[in-house]
Amino acid sequence: MIQVENLTKAYQGVEVLNINEMSIPKGQSFGLVGNNGAGKTTFFSLLLDLIQPTTGYIQSNGVRIDRSEEWKPFTSAFIDESFLIGYLTPEEYFFFIGKLRGQSNTDVTQFIAKYEVFFNDEILGKRKYLRDLSKGNQKKVGLIGALIGGPEVVILDEPFANLDPTTQIRLKQLIKSETKDTQTTFLISSHDLTHVTEVCERIVVLEKGQVINDLKTSPETLKALEKYFSEPLDD
Amino acid sequence: MQISDFLRLEWLQFRRAAYFQKGLIVKIFLAFIVLYFSATALLLGVGVFFIAKKTVPDVDPLVTVNNVLILWIVADVLLRYFFQQLPVLNVKPLMSLPVSRHRVVRFVLLKSLISFFNILPLLIYIPFAVVLVFQDYNPFQVLAWFVGILSISLSINFANFLVNKNNKYLLALLSLFFLAGTLNYFGIFDAAAIAGIGFNALYDQPFWVTLPLILLFFLYRANWNLLFKGFYLDDKVAQKVTLAGGSNFTWLQRFGPVAPFLENDIKLIRRNVRPKQVLLASFMFLFYGLFFYTQDSYSELPAILVFASIFITGGFLMTFGQQVPSWDSQYYKLLMSQNIPYRQYLNAKWMLMVFGVVVSFVLSLPYLYFGWDIYAMIAAGALFNIGLNSFITLIGGALNRTPIVLNEKAKAFANTNGFNPTQLLIGLPKVILPMLLFYLPYKLISFNVGLICVAGAGALGLVFRAQFLTLIEKIYTKGKYKTVAAFDQES
Repeated sequence: MIQVENLTKAYQGVEVLNINEMSIPKGQSFGLVGNNGAGKTTFFSLLLDLIQPTTGYIQSNGVRIDRSEEWKPFTSAFIDESFLIGYLTPEEYFFFIGKLRGQSNTDVTQFIAKYEVFFNDEILGKRKYLRDLSKGNQKKVGLIGALIGGPEVVILDEPFANLDPTTQIRLKQLIKSETKDTQTTFLISSHDLTHVTEVCERIVVLEKGQVINDLKTSPETLKALEKYFSEPLDD
Repeated sequence: MQISDFLRLEWLQFRRAAYFQKGLIVKIFLAFIVLYFSATALLLGVGVFFIAKKTVPDVDPLVTVNNVLILWIVADVLLRYFFQQLPVLNVKPLMSLPVSRHRVVRFVLLKSLISFFNILPLLIYIPFAVVLVFQDYNPFQVLAWFVGILSISLSINFANFLVNKNNKYLLALLSLFFLAGTLNYFGIFDAAAIAGIGFNALYDQPFWVTLPLILLFFLYRANWNLLFKGFYLDDKVAQKVTLAGGSNFTWLQRFGPVAPFLENDIKLIRRNVRPKQVLLASFMFLFYGLFFYTQDSYSELPAILVFASIFITGGFLMTFGQQVPSWDSQYYKLLMSQNIPYRQYLNAKWMLMVFGVVVSFVLSLPYLYFGWDIYAMIAAGALFNIGLNSFITLIGGALNRTPIVLNEKAKAFANTNGFNPTQLLIGLPKVILPMLLFYLPYKLISFNVGLICVAGAGALGLVFRAQFLTLIEKIYTKGKYKTVAAFDQES
């Protein structure tokens, strides 16, 4: 589904990301971990064509992301609050996103009805603007918004942060069932090793922009990751 | 924490504000503007005495000034109501620090005094008072007058915070002003003169100065109590939460693929403070013609009148349009990574701007009073706005990469954020072009041909609408990464 070729990104000569080659097959749930400044957000921004690669490129479903916009109809993302429109109510936001992905309001209403439990009665029908919701509730809206219209690639940056424990568990179930039922490719970054190993079948560790580990998730992965991150970094 | 620490924080906030992180040219330009305004105020302060003396020779100039002073005060009230920021919200980070509440509240209130709106009157009143003293007015009485007027001005400052942008007060005030104005106009009741008696009394019997001083004191105390009692996160410091009203936009569906964007833009304007401010400002543009059409000296120079006519219908178009796409800066990443064709996005904005021109044109109907020539000129200007200025403004906006915080009032001078030399250059043709298009045929052939040329240029622009939109699209695509990065920065 996603092909990375010789991808580098440098700011004023300082390289912040360098991925020689990587491919993510369709339907994989792909986890990205790494300390602050490892290049996770940079990678996601490149995937969404929000920044330009210094060299190399990413292909999504055969489309070169920095050359064409054809990837947009099947890709969705929730990176941060700048993916929300503060002056809309959750419903209005979902409808807007739905329209961009060719879904009628009825489709969207049916779709979000499935997530009533996930919303925990704090989102729908409250007539509140998104800007007035708590960080956690904003995140819920953004996450579900990213699923509207059945995208093939879903990119989530730190989806577990700011969520309450119940919602974290529900989100994990949700991602698992989505990958199983719909063959959606999930790309998830997280600082929470437990969550990410639970949800993702593959985990890539970034450090200072380099891929230093590429693991297929197994019962030992969490231990290995914890060990890796507790060791002092040597330069 | 000492007062000096507070002052240091304020200084840093001021120094590091986004509008100082600019290129040298813009800085010089800003300094120039500030100097210009200060100099104008100073000149006015010095000159007003002599102007009053000249226009009404047989009345004491101070009395003349006092008799019209109420107008300035009314303007002051309105300006403050719309543009002065409440300083309350900055309190939040201090709440959990070991600083006594008294101190913070006192500081917040004193800080509110250091504002453009309080410095401007000083720049006018002080030179005026100095001139009075030099003109052999009793210094003691002048001082009383000065202190009295200043107290009134500061009282407005504090009253404004009490009112706290409550529209009911505004409505009451406006009706009061309107009533007084009407009574004045029909000569039933001279409100300005009555107010004048009060101001004169300040000079004639200086003990009256106690009245505004007491008023100021009470308003200060009232603010103090309000802030002191409301010093909790869920009280005065909290941001107000408003609920969405039921709104039905199904009628927009007829616009096809543009509809969702139009719908969003309408919500953007209705639900955010900043766009509402712009809406108000563009309403003010409607009155632009009054300055020009009433002056005999301009009727000889119809090219200048064309200038005014462009602004009458172009207020919303320019003020809103020059900030496209900044209006969407807070969620620009969403727009850029979603399935959104620039064309439809721009189309929606363009339609909104055109709608603004049409509404302004309808509202400008009273200008018929100045004759058909003037109204035809406004109509030609409207067409020019729709056909050309809309696109020029959008091009300028595409180069404007200043993020906007939608639900916060613009600080005084914050609009300079959008200033950059390129934009200024792009803005020039908006008014120069129609003036030229009118002036040449007017001089060579006739008035009507001049108007036809202005209108014709607008119509021609409409014909090339698709080409214009493609051009703007290209600018957007080219600047995409720059814009995303710029909007990512906090303003």
